[in-house]
Amino acid sequence: MAHPAQMGFQDAATPVMEELLHFHDHALMIVYLISTMVFYIIVAMVTTELTNKYILDSQEIEIMWTALPAIILVLIAMPSIRVLYLMDEINDPHLTIKAMGHQWYWSYEYTDYENLTFDSYMTPTQDLTPGQFRLLETDHRMVVPTDAPIRVLVSAEDVLHSWAVPSLGVKMDAVPGRLNQTAFIASRAGVFYGQCSEICGANHSFMPIVVEAVPLEHFEIWTAMMMEDV
Amino acid sequence: MLASRALVRGLQSGFWRRVSTSSGARAAHPHDVDVLDCSAPQYNNRPDTPWPDVPFVRNLSAEQKKLKEKEKGPWTQLTKEEKLAIYRLTHELSFPEMNKGSKEWMTVLGGIFYFLGFTALLVWWQRVYVYGDVPHTFSQEWVEKQTQMMIDMRVNPVQGFSNKWDYEKKQWK
Repeated sequence: MAHPAQMGFQDAATPVMEELLHFHDHALMIVYLISTMVFYIIVAMVTTELTNKYILDSQEIEIMWTALPAIILVLIAMPSIRVLYLMDEINDPHLTIKAMGHQWYWSYEYTDYENLTFDSYMTPTQDLTPGQFRLLETDHRMVVPTDAPIRVLVSAEDVLHSWAVPSLGVKMDAVPGRLNQTAFIASRAGVFYGQCSEICGANHSFMPIVVEAVPLEHFEIWTAMMMEDV
Repeated sequence: MLASRALVRGLQSGFWRRVSTSSGARAAHPHDVDVLDCSAPQYNNRPDTPWPDVPFVRNLSAEQKKLKEKEKGPWTQLTKEEKLAIYRLTHELSFPEMNKGSKEWMTVLGGIFYFLGFTALLVWWQRVYVYGDVPHTFSQEWVEKQTQMMIDMRVNPVQGFSNKWDYEKKQWK
């Protein structure tokens, strides 16, 4: 989750999110360099004492400031396409989970082996135990094993929603009547929070997503416990 | 009555004269001198056009014409005052006069501060009279428990939140 007044990304919990962080650093550095140069040029133009500014031409600088932006764009595009194709890889998942969006909660279906289905409602603020996170906690978390490719099929039962968990680098729209696929590998154990990312009515801000990544043994214990309860 | 000649003449001699630049208007009032024709070259005082399209004084008096004739000869025979007068014939302002600037920035800054202050007043009023209390999860006690929970859960342990907590010494780094 984010800490108060956080400006940057949350730490990555999947390899894809790590790659996205590195690409963002690369692109942002280029943006800083260009902005600094433009700002310097503006200040220089405004404060110059030179008078004969508009009676010259120069083919060299014109070529430079046409070719250089093209080269910079290529330098941004190359890592961007690399990450895009990385996210699209065929990944042979160990587990498939269906995340269904409703107004206003998520439901998760683990139907690979047994038929485990449960709803995940936000914990209302007055029901939080002291220290819990307001508007982020849910009654049931989506538990996944670490270091295993997980496929998530996202859909919706009524209106558009979007299943997003920033630490995992995942966001996928939940469209009624459509199955959207996304995948991730949780590289570290932990609890990762996200929120619905497509306006879906009055309680759009109050249907969070909580993913808990645990080692495989603990995941198996959890599924056994959930099957007993359900 | 509204189109009476007196009313029309009153309008034309005042405000309307300034904005009406059609050739019809000029033809109707050839004695008006302050109608600007933007299709003809104009004089301007700008440091980045040091040689304006036309000289400042177009219609030279007899004395000025004599000065212009004298300019065609050797310049060493011109006095300093004559040289300055020739400059002022072709240019209205010198470079220092052009670049002098004004005290307008003080007015602008004052206006900015005034509006910032007014906005601050609105924001304060809103905080006091419109907004209710913050949720109970913002209390000191809750935030302490929440921070402890975030540390225990290892939130953002790589470079973020938990990275700044020393787990051995149990204190912030």
